[in-house]
Parts: sequence; C-alpha cells; structure tokens
Amino acid sequence: MSNDLIIKDLQASIGEKAILRGVNLTVRGGTIHAVMGPNGSGKSTLANIIAGHPSYTVTGGEIWYNEQNILELDAAERSKLGLFLAFQYPVAVPGVSVANFLRAALNAHRAEAGKDPKLTAIPVPAFRKLLREGMQSLEMDEGFARRYLNEGFSGGEKKRLEILQMTLLKPSMAIMDETDSGLDIDALRIVAEGVNRLAGPAMGALVITHYQRLLNYIKPGFVSVMMDGRIVREGGPELALELEEKGYDWVREELAGAA
Amino acid sequence: MTNLTLRETTAEVIVARAQAAGEPGWLAERRRDAWTFFAQAGPPEWRRTDLSGLLPDELGPTDTTAVELMWDPALAAQGVIFKPIRQALDSHEGLLRKCLDTAVAPLTHKFSALRAALWHDGVFLFVPRNVAADTPLRVRYGLSAGERTTFPRTLVITEANSSVTLVEEFTSADQTAVALAAPISEIFAGPGSNVRFSSVQHWGANVYHLGGQQLILEHDANAEWTSIALGGKVQHIEAETTLQGNGSRVNWLGATFANHDQVLVMAPWLRHVGHSAESFMQFKTVVNDTSYSVFDGMIKIEHESAATSTRLEEHALHLSPNARNDSIPSLKIETNSVLKGGHASTSGDLDDEQLFYMQARGIPKDEARRMIVMGFFSPALDTLPIEALRTELETIIEGKI
Repeated sequence: MSNDLIIKDLQASIGEKAILRGVNLTVRGGTIHAVMGPNGSGKSTLANIIAGHPSYTVTGGEIWYNEQNILELDAAERSKLGLFLAFQYPVAVPGVSVANFLRAALNAHRAEAGKDPKLTAIPVPAFRKLLREGMQSLEMDEGFARRYLNEGFSGGEKKRLEILQMTLLKPSMAIMDETDSGLDIDALRIVAEGVNRLAGPAMGALVITHYQRLLNYIKPGFVSVMMDGRIVREGGPELALELEEKGYDWVREELAGAA
Repeated sequence: MTNLTLRETTAEVIVARAQAAGEPGWLAERRRDAWTFFAQAGPPEWRRTDLSGLLPDELGPTDTTAVELMWDPALAAQGVIFKPIRQALDSHEGLLRKCLDTAVAPLTHKFSALRAALWHDGVFLFVPRNVAADTPLRVRYGLSAGERTTFPRTLVITEANSSVTLVEEFTSADQTAVALAAPISEIFAGPGSNVRFSSVQHWGANVYHLGGQQLILEHDANAEWTSIALGGKVQHIEAETTLQGNGSRVNWLGATFANHDQVLVMAPWLRHVGHSAESFMQFKTVVNDTSYSVFDGMIKIEHESAATSTRLEEHALHLSPNARNDSIPSLKIETNSVLKGGHASTSGDLDDEQLFYMQARGIPKDEARRMIVMGFFSPALDTLPIEALRTELETIIEGKI
C-alpha cells in the first residue's frame, strides 16, 4: 500500500558517530505503530531523519513513502507528501505569529507547480474559521494565534500547537517524537484526544516514546523495540506492557544471550 | 552660482546666496560660520565609515531640495502646522532662529558644518498645546535626476500635552553617479507630549547619507522612535535622544539591513539628564553578501540625572559569512543614582533548527528565510503607522534576502 512508511536497512550518523545501524521498519498506513526504546537508542534520530533534518548523514538504506524514496526530497517536500513530525522540542521563531506561520504552512501545502500561489491560497475567512475550530478542539485560548511561534510557550502549549498544526495540515502519516515529554496529565489527555481524532484510516502514526504512559492514551496496534540503532523486537500492544513491567534490560539480556 | 562645485564655493558665495534668497541676516551669518568651519576642518575621524568614494569638493551645492509633504489637511483646523521649512522662515522666523541648530550642533565636524551651511529646504511641523494629531504626517525627501547633493532638514516642535506621528523618508531611484545626502532632523518634544517618529532611509544605490538627528524630551514627554536603514551606498547617522526633563521616556527601535557592498553605520545615543527618566533601545541588524554594518550605541547618564532606568540591545543576524557587523555598545555613567542600567548584544547566523522546523511544515526554504528575517525585524516594522509604507519596505527587505 502506498501509505505504508517503509524503512529499509537505514544507516545514519551525525558527524563521525554512527547512530542508526540498519533500521528495518514498516508502518502500515492507517495504523498506530509505537517505537519504544531506552535513551540513546536512536529513536529521535529516526524521527528526524524521516522528516529530513539536514544535520544527519544517511550512510545507507532507503525510506519509502507514497512510492517514493523520500531520502531524495527535502523536508518541505516530505511534508507536502503527507508526512508530519510532531517535534519533541518545538522551535521558537520570534516575530512570526502562530497564525501567520499556520497560514504559510497551509498555503505551501495548497500550492501547485505552475500556478499563481494567490489562486491556490486559502481565503482569509476560511482560514480563520479553520483555525478557530482547531484551537477550540484543543482547548486553546483565542489570543494564542497572535503570539510568536513557540516563544515563551509552556511545554503543554508547545505540544498543543504541534497537534493544532497536525489538525490543520491533515497528514497521512504522523511521526510523534516523545510527545508526552514535558506534559502534565491534563495536557497529555488533550494532546492524546487530538491525535486520536485524527488517527484512523486517513492517518497512520509512528509513536516514539520511552515510557508506556503515552500508550495508555494513544493505543498502538503494533510495537517495535529499538536498541543501539536497530529494531530488535516486534509485537502487539502486549509488548509495551511487558517492557513497562520488566524494563529494557530484559531485552538487552535476551539479545546478549542470543548472540 | 548654483552650479559651482564645493571647491569653487566661498563664504562670500554662501552669504550672497542667502541674501539673494531673501533669508534673514542671522541665517546668512550662521551659514557663513558653518561654511568657514567646513572649509577649515579635516575629514572626520570615523574609523569605520569609508568615505574614500565620496569626493565632496567635486559635488555641486544645489539650491533645490525635493520635499513631498503628505498629511490630512483637516489637522490644520486643529492648529497643526506642516509646511516647507523655507515658508516657515517667513511665518515663524523667531521660533526657527531659537531652535535651528540647537539640537544637532553645527560645528562638530566637517559634515555637520556642511549641512548647516548648505541646507536648503525641509519640513517644519508644529503641534500646539493639548492638540492630538490623530493621523500620521509624512515627509519624503528625494533626489531629482542628475542631482548630486541634497541637504534637507526636519524641525518638529510639539507643545505641552500634544501628540503627533511623523514619518520622515529618504528615497530615490538608483543613482548612476555618487550623490551626497546630508540631512538634519531636530525634534523638540514639549512637556507631557507624545511623539512617534519613524525615520526611514531607503535611498537608491550610490547615495552617501551623512545624517545628524536629535530628539530632546522635556519633562514627562514620551517618544517612540523607529530608525530604519536599508538603502544607499554608505550611511553614517549620528542620532541622539536627550532625556532632558524629569519623567521623560523613549522607546527606540531600529532595523538595519545591509547587502552587496553597503556600509551602514548607525550611532544612536541615549543621554539621560532628567530624573526618573526611562529609555529602551533595541536595534536589529541583518547583513548579507559582503556588506558591513556598525552599531555604535551609547548610553550616557549625566551627573545631574537621578533614578535612571535604561537598557540598550543590539541583535545581529548574518546571512552570509562574508558580511560583517560590529557592535560597540557602551555605557558612560557620571552619577551614583541609577535605578536600572544594562546592555546586551547578540550575533548569529540564520538558525538551522528554525529553518528545519518551518520546512517540516511544508514551507519552502526561501520562504522560511524570508519569514525569519521579517520576524526578526518585526518589532521595528510593527511600529510603522502607514500600512502602504510597511508593505513597500517589506518588498525592499525581501529583495535583499
């Protein structure tokens, strides 16, 4: 299926340091797939590479989405293909308001080659309506849209803004990078509800997390375990519970035993 | 007489010109004194401003100054006066005699003297006591085709508890030959008055802009000053706000964008004299290509002041490794009574994480760069009171990214 995200033998490094050592992973379109792993296992690197972060060097392998090897595309093109990275640490851009940023992002998605961007741009009243509805669904204050992007935002505000962007851009595959980090329980509920409203046949999700906690709110159909830059275990939701109970050392010991 | 170069001009010529134009005797004398100073002074000791491409002696003093005044004439009914300063020489001679050249000192260096000797026209803005001029006034100084020099001047006087918004603009087409613009801006803000002043320099190519500006705040006067520098070949602006009166306040924002081989030097000073006065200055600078910009900002807290609150910031953004920005903020304190004082400066390249974040939402890289730069300048741009001017400047800024 074209909406499957297929990662084949992906190897990547930052500087001289190898971080991904042959990742093989398929996230089926329209499913929720969790990748769990201890700190330093390469989970966030994987998320960033899928989105096209320029600081990493891919030294081998492929990533396929919508029948394209997306490693040939820049980050903006990947976004337009339907991929969305919900950042672990959303970046502040002073002087750029949330509303202007969202409108620019929407219009970039609506732009078509060879067409005047003015013709494809979303009309302002339609944009306002979309924004208002999205903000209400995430229990966000109206004044939020006028604030500068992520500047002085609390952890909860940043993550809500990530989900608001996801709501407006309607990706077909969302990559959630440690979305629960820095969230209290109320914010976690609002964020998870936002993801659950979107997840379904139209949007698959790759949920990256250290802890099982998030998976109580966003329930995966599949769980993969990452360690030392590789996927080392795959299973259903029960695998997450097992990890919660026994910790990651159990997997590590099993791997050492098998080697 | 009008087509003489500066080399061929003499004090006698200056005086004869003033008399022929029907100017009062005191002005002819001031011009003569300023010219004498100019003729004797060596080049100014500006270490960072390269004037080697400017040969002022070869330029001619012109007796035209392109001045365009735009305002809502309904303000005249409230008593606001907004007119070419030549006309004010007739209607307000006493006031001009009292004020001209008292804020920006004429005999400081060669070019301050040249400005005072040769100024030809400009604008006079007067706002009477208790009058709130609600709509912005705008003066646009230009360079006519083939003109090689222009010496305009702005004089603003606001009486007690009045308020006004003025935009002063320097603009022209690209010049084929080197041209010199040497303007003077003097603003006297009366007690409790509110002054919003935007000074926007966006000359075309090849213009040297050597400007002097001074804003003097009487007690409880409040000013919002925005300084925008985009155009010309070389700019050297000495600007100062004097917080003369107790309880006076200024919020001073700047945006400078240099590209190609431009050299844009800005020396904004804050001078605290009154008690319990507050000042904040924040200048943003972007440099691209092989350009060079200088921020030579200073806070001077005078002996007689007390309970001063002040802060000065400069932030620079480099779009090219070959561009340079020198930030030289300084603080001179001559009293023990300072409530708050500080300065900060930062400098960096375009942030890759910001670019990636925006690109990850589908925004193309060029658009993301444009948005980041525009966001960087937004504190100053947001203060511009005329939407069409803001749009025009954004187009110029986009062209420089």
